[in-house]
Amino acid sequence: MLANHYAISQQVTYRGMVWLLAAQLVVMLPFAFYLPIWLIPVMLISSYWRFRVLKGESAQPKLFVRLLVVALGIAGVLLSGMTLLSLDTMVSLLLLGFAFKSLEAVRQRDALVVVFIGFFLVAISFLFSQSIPAGAYGVISLIILTGALIANQQSPAQQISRYATRSSLKMASMMLFQCLPLMVLVFIFMPRFSPLWSIPSFESHAKTGITDSMAPGDIANLSKSDELAFRASFEGRVPQSDELYWRGLVLNNFDGKSWQQLPDEYDTSELKHQLLYNMAWNDARIEIQGDPFKYEVIYEKTGQPWLFTLTPTTKVDGKTIKFGDYRVMSRGDIQSPFMMNAVSYPDSKRDLELSDYARNLALQLPASGDEKTREFARVLRESSLSNADYVEKVLNRFTDQSYFYTLRPPLLGDKDTIDKFLFETQKGFCSHYSGSFVFMMRAAGIPARIVVGYLGGEWSPDGEYLSVRQYDAHAWAEVWLEGEGWRRVDPTSRVAPSRVEGGLEAAVEYEGSFLEGNPFSARNFKWLDGIRKKMDSIQYGWRRWILGYDSESQAGLLKSVLDKMSSIPLAALVGALFLGIFLLWFVMLGLGRRQNYEAYEHQLYRKFCKRLEKHGVLREPQQTPYEFALIASKKLPSRAAAIQDFSSLYQQLCYVPRNGAGRDEPHQKMRRLLREIS
Amino acid sequence: MTQSAQELINLASSQLNHVILGKSNQVRLALTALLAGGHLLLEDLPGMGKTTLAHGLSNVFGLDYKRVQFTSDLLPADVVGATVFDAKTSEFNFRAGPIFSDIFLADELNRATPRAQSALLEAMEERQVSIDGESHHLPDPFFVIATQNPQSQSGTFPLPESQLDRFLLRVSLGYPDQAAERELLKGRHGRGSLEAMQCCISRDQLRAIQARVPKIKMTDALLDYVQRLVGQTREEELALLGLSPRGSMALVRSAQSWALIQGRDHVLPEDVQAVFVAVAGHRIVGRRETQGNQLARHILNTVDVVGGVRV
Repeated sequence: MLANHYAISQQVTYRGMVWLLAAQLVVMLPFAFYLPIWLIPVMLISSYWRFRVLKGESAQPKLFVRLLVVALGIAGVLLSGMTLLSLDTMVSLLLLGFAFKSLEAVRQRDALVVVFIGFFLVAISFLFSQSIPAGAYGVISLIILTGALIANQQSPAQQISRYATRSSLKMASMMLFQCLPLMVLVFIFMPRFSPLWSIPSFESHAKTGITDSMAPGDIANLSKSDELAFRASFEGRVPQSDELYWRGLVLNNFDGKSWQQLPDEYDTSELKHQLLYNMAWNDARIEIQGDPFKYEVIYEKTGQPWLFTLTPTTKVDGKTIKFGDYRVMSRGDIQSPFMMNAVSYPDSKRDLELSDYARNLALQLPASGDEKTREFARVLRESSLSNADYVEKVLNRFTDQSYFYTLRPPLLGDKDTIDKFLFETQKGFCSHYSGSFVFMMRAAGIPARIVVGYLGGEWSPDGEYLSVRQYDAHAWAEVWLEGEGWRRVDPTSRVAPSRVEGGLEAAVEYEGSFLEGNPFSARNFKWLDGIRKKMDSIQYGWRRWILGYDSESQAGLLKSVLDKMSSIPLAALVGALFLGIFLLWFVMLGLGRRQNYEAYEHQLYRKFCKRLEKHGVLREPQQTPYEFALIASKKLPSRAAAIQDFSSLYQQLCYVPRNGAGRDEPHQKMRRLLREIS
Repeated sequence: MTQSAQELINLASSQLNHVILGKSNQVRLALTALLAGGHLLLEDLPGMGKTTLAHGLSNVFGLDYKRVQFTSDLLPADVVGATVFDAKTSEFNFRAGPIFSDIFLADELNRATPRAQSALLEAMEERQVSIDGESHHLPDPFFVIATQNPQSQSGTFPLPESQLDRFLLRVSLGYPDQAAERELLKGRHGRGSLEAMQCCISRDQLRAIQARVPKIKMTDALLDYVQRLVGQTREEELALLGLSPRGSMALVRSAQSWALIQGRDHVLPEDVQAVFVAVAGHRIVGRRETQGNQLARHILNTVDVVGGVRV
C-alpha cells in the first residue's frame, strides 16, 4: 500500500540513503575547519563504508565491529589533546556519533535520527562561525537535510519517479521558504532568555588581538594582520583622528624586558578580582568636562575579555565592568560578536588625587638594569623646571635626535633593552617608544604607565561607522602630573606624526612593511578597494542588525513601536500575537484541507465510518457501502439494523437516480441513524 | 419479448456455467463484453477452455461461429477472404473469409505476424473489410474473441498498446479449482455437453438487450468514483501509460453492461470494481515493469469509493 499505509518502520531505501549520506557530508564539512584534522578522513571513510554497504560491496557491519569503531573514535578524541568536558570534545564526539550513526542506519527511524542530529549540528556550527557565508551555508545545509527527511519518508512509488530528486529539493526549499515569516517573527519577538549556563570557551579558537603583556615586537606582529577588531559608530559628535585612542589594557609592571599588567601574573578572572579590589571604579575621581562622545561598538570574537573604549568612558551597558584605570572589560570572554553602547568625556580630568597603590604601581622599576637611562633621566630631571617641563624635554629628544619609526627594528637582546634602544639603535615602533618613555618618567619619579589598544581606524565611505583592524594596534603612555591628573602622551606621534593622522599604512609607507607577510590581504590590492569597502559595509549591517539584535534591542524595538508600556502588558501582547498567528495558521490549514467541499451525504458517511472505527470496524478505501455494511453489521450485531439502514439510504442517495424527490428527508433519517449507532 | 431480459441472461449464463465449470465470474465478464458490443481478449495457456467458452457463447445465442488458428505464416487473406477468378463465369468473385461470422475466435492471435494481426484489428474497429476497393460489411452482432499466450512464451509478436485498446475486456480463465476439475475428469461436463445446449436468446433479442446497455443510469457520485479511478491510472508516479478516454468510456460501458446482467437499472460502485481490472489491466503500463493487472488492482485498493475529490 502506498501513502498512508507506508509505515515508518520500513527499511531505508537506496535513494533515501544516498540523500542521507549527502546531507551528512554537507553538515560535517564546516566543522573540518575547527576540530582535529583527523576527523575529516574518519567521517569520509565512514560515509564511503556505508556507501559500499549500500551498493552491496561490503557487508553490514556487525555489532562487534560497530562497537570497536565507536571505541576507537572515542579514544581518538580523548587522545587528541583536548580537555575532557570541553565543548570541543563534546562536539567532536557528537560528530563522530553522527558519522557512525549512518553505518547502522537500516530502518527508516534510524535515518530520521540522523537527520535530526544533523539539524542540531547545523545549529551548533553557528557557535564556531556567525559570518554571512556561514549563515548562507547553514541555509543550504537545512535545505539538503529537509530534502533527506522528505526522501526518507516518500513512498517507493514516489521515489522511483524520474523527478524524485528535483521534487524533494523543491519541496524542501518550499517548506523552508514557508517557514520564513515565522522565522522572522520568532527572531524579532521571541524572548531572549539568558542561557542557563554560559557557553564554555573553545580551545580551538585562537585568541586573537592584543595580548595581556607587551615585549618589544608584539605589536609589530599584529601589524601583519588586517583582521577586523571592532567597528564603532558615533551618535552626534564625531572624534578627530587624534582622539581615536581606543584604550584596552593598562600595563604597569616592567621586569627589564617586557611589560605586564600587574606585578604578579594572573589569569583573567583573578585579574578582574585584583583590579576590582585595588582599582575599583569611582565616579568621584573623575571631573567631567566638555562634550561627550556617544558611540556604539561591535566587537569581533576574540576569546578574550578586553573591550576597547575611548578614555574615560563613564557609561557602558551590557555585561561589562569598568575599572579604576579607566578600562572596560567584558564579564566573560568574547566568544561571539558583542555589541555595547558607551559614553565618553574625552576632556575630563582623571584622578587628581592618586592612591598609594596606584602611585606605587606607576613608579615600579626593576631593581637594576638600564643604568645609563636611569642616569640620563636623573640628570635631565634636575635640569628641568617641573615635571611637565621634563615630559616635554623627553618628548623633544625623540624629535631632535634621529629616531626612526619602523616595523623592522633591530633586535635588542635580553638585557638593558631600553639603553640599547635609546642610545644605540634608535629605531622602533610604538611599543619601543612608549616603553622607553614610561621608563624615563619612572626613573625621574613621575608616575607613568603604558596603555595598549588601537589607534585610529578607517571610516566607511559614507562615514557611518569606523572599522578598526588589528594593524591599528598601538601602545601609548599616560603620565600623572600634579593638578592635572592622568595625561595621555603618545611619544610615537613625535617620531611619526603620520601614524596618528594617516594610520600605520602612511607611517611605514617609505619602507613598505605594512601588512608584511600577508601578501594576499585585500588591502594590498588598491583596485579592490571599492569592493572591499562595500563588502565591509554589508558585514557591518549583518553584525549590527542580525547578530547584534539582543534582548535589549528587542525591548528597544518593542518599546519604540508600542510606546512606553510596562513589561507585563508587553509580554501579554507578544503572547497574544503569537497565539493569534498560530490560530490563524491552523484555521488556514484546516481551510486548505476542506477546499473541496463534499456533498452532505458524503460527510455524513465519513462520520458514520468514524463512529464505526471507534467500535473497531475500520473501512478500507476500496470497500463499497454495501460491502462495508455487511462486514460492520456482522461485527456489531446489536447495531446491524441501523448500519444496514444507514448504508442503504446512503447508497440510494448516491447511486440510484433520483426522480426529483426532496433530499432533506433522507439526510434527517441518516442523522437519526447515526445517533442510534453511537 | 416473451421473457424479460434478466431471465434470458440468467438462462444463458447458467447454461454456460455448465460448460465452463467454476468460472462464473469469467463467464459473466464474457457476457458483459458481448452485451456491451465489445470484443474480448482471453489471455491464457492452451487447454484452459478458451475455445469451449467461445463455442458455448455461440451456441447459447444461436449465432454462427468460426475459428482461425493464427500462426506466423497466416496471411490477411486467410482471415478476411479474397477475390478469386471464376473460370466458369469468367468473373472475379469475392470469397468471404472466416471473419464473416457472428462470433469469430482468433486463436493465439499473438503468434501471427503484425500484418495478419492488423487485418483482424481493422475489421474489429470498422466492422467492415475492404478488399480491392469494395467494402464488405460484417454481420451484426459481430463479436471477436481473441486468445493470446502469455507474452513470456517464445515465438510471439506482442500486440501494441494501440491494438490492445480495441479489446473491451481482457480476461484470464485460469486453472479450475479442485471440485470443478473433478467434475471435468468424470467427463460429465465440458466440451461434451456443448451439443446439449439450447439456443435461448435469439439474434433479435440479443440486439434488443445490447441496445439497453447505454440506458443503464449512472449518478454523479458514481462518475466521481470512476473519474477518481481513471485519474489515478494517469498519476505520473504510478503509471507510464494511463487510461485513454476510449479506455474510460470502455470502463463505463462495461460497468453498465455488468449492471444489466445483475438486473439493475443503475450502476453501483460494485459494478465498476467488477470490471475495472478487466478493462484497465491491458491498457495501462506501470512504472518499473509493474504488470497492468497488478497496478489496476492496486489502484482499486487505494482509491476511496466514497466521497468527492480526495487527493
